[in-house]
Amino acid sequence: MDHYSVATATAVNEAELIIRAQNGERNAFSELVRIHSRGVFNVVYRMCGDALVAEDAAQETFIRAWQNLSSYHPQTTLRNWLYRIAFNAAMDMLRKEKRIIPTDIEDMQLTDERPGPESQVSQHERTAMVQKAVLSLPDASRAVLVLKEYEGMSYREIADALDIPIGTVMSRLNYARKLLKEKLEPKLFVKMEVEHV
Amino acid sequence: MSNHVTEWLNAYFDGELTGKRLHQVEEHLAECEACQTELEALGNVSGLLHEIPLPDFPSPERFATQVNLLLPQKRTPPPQRSLFEIGWWMIPVGLLAVWVFISTAILLGDVVSVAKNFGLLDSTTASFISAPSETAEVTSTLGQFGMLQGNSLQWAETTETITRSWFPQIVLYVAVALLYLIWIVVWWTRHTRQLSGSLLES
Repeated sequence: MDHYSVATATAVNEAELIIRAQNGERNAFSELVRIHSRGVFNVVYRMCGDALVAEDAAQETFIRAWQNLSSYHPQTTLRNWLYRIAFNAAMDMLRKEKRIIPTDIEDMQLTDERPGPESQVSQHERTAMVQKAVLSLPDASRAVLVLKEYEGMSYREIADALDIPIGTVMSRLNYARKLLKEKLEPKLFVKMEVEHV
Repeated sequence: MSNHVTEWLNAYFDGELTGKRLHQVEEHLAECEACQTELEALGNVSGLLHEIPLPDFPSPERFATQVNLLLPQKRTPPPQRSLFEIGWWMIPVGLLAVWVFISTAILLGDVVSVAKNFGLLDSTTASFISAPSETAEVTSTLGQFGMLQGNSLQWAETTETITRSWFPQIVLYVAVALLYLIWIVVWWTRHTRQLSGSLLES
């Protein structure tokens, strides 16, 4: 069976599962949860930056999806519809947790600020700093960035998932990357270049 | 180097550009070091983002079971097409029906007129089904009072007769067509709000 046939069969199977779940079949809905749990968790984790909060948000996403399944229309893919719910759930969780994550990386200090090859910025510090930078982005821009960078979605798919025009997807993505570059460049890019010398 | 392609670099980096725009950006990048550096920076940022690892997450099967246990027992009823949606799709059908009705009524009117002129209908039937007379009543009245005479009276009578017979039909057709056009515009706006793909092309 070629790739197209597999994709079509999967889509048909998912469409069947959706109809059954809309009719109240919990097992069919569980199957949909199984199919989409990874993607939803990935998205909410990238939005929240905390595994426990993300797990709660992912659960909340599927509970809301179950409660509102009657309003789902196949014009949007189920994945995009779930991601839209996931973003709202993640944002609600962050508000509930009162945004314990720092909103600015300027406060973060590297263990070794010395320029040059002797710099010892650990991988852990780097990823922590990048994650903080991502979390400090405005929610709307972060959402677009997460879908593009981590889910590999096209601009059109992102527009569909977030219910915004493609032009807005582009401007938010440009803005998010520009902010990240501004925040990370002075701390990381210089050191990366030095490491490569 | 002027005319930098900065605003299109993200779309280029993400493989979203096609056609002329893609060609334009590629040509510019071949010559512009500033934009090449900018593109490289995008790659660096993307690389850094992918360094963030994902934490351990319950297996999909386990997570699905957890969610299943949390699902509320009662759920909103299965989907039913809302009255609004049904009403929305009935608009063009209704307009089409109105259009057919008007056309049929006009056609029947013409058939009756022809039949009447050829004496195919007896006087009772003709008076029962025929449309109101399309005579130039206003012009005749004005003529009686001497306000219109000769050629001007004849021209006014012809104009009034044509206006009386055609004007209502034209107004109805235009109104139906206009309503249908408005419906199409609203429908198009709703469905293509996000599909501005040409934005990425040229």
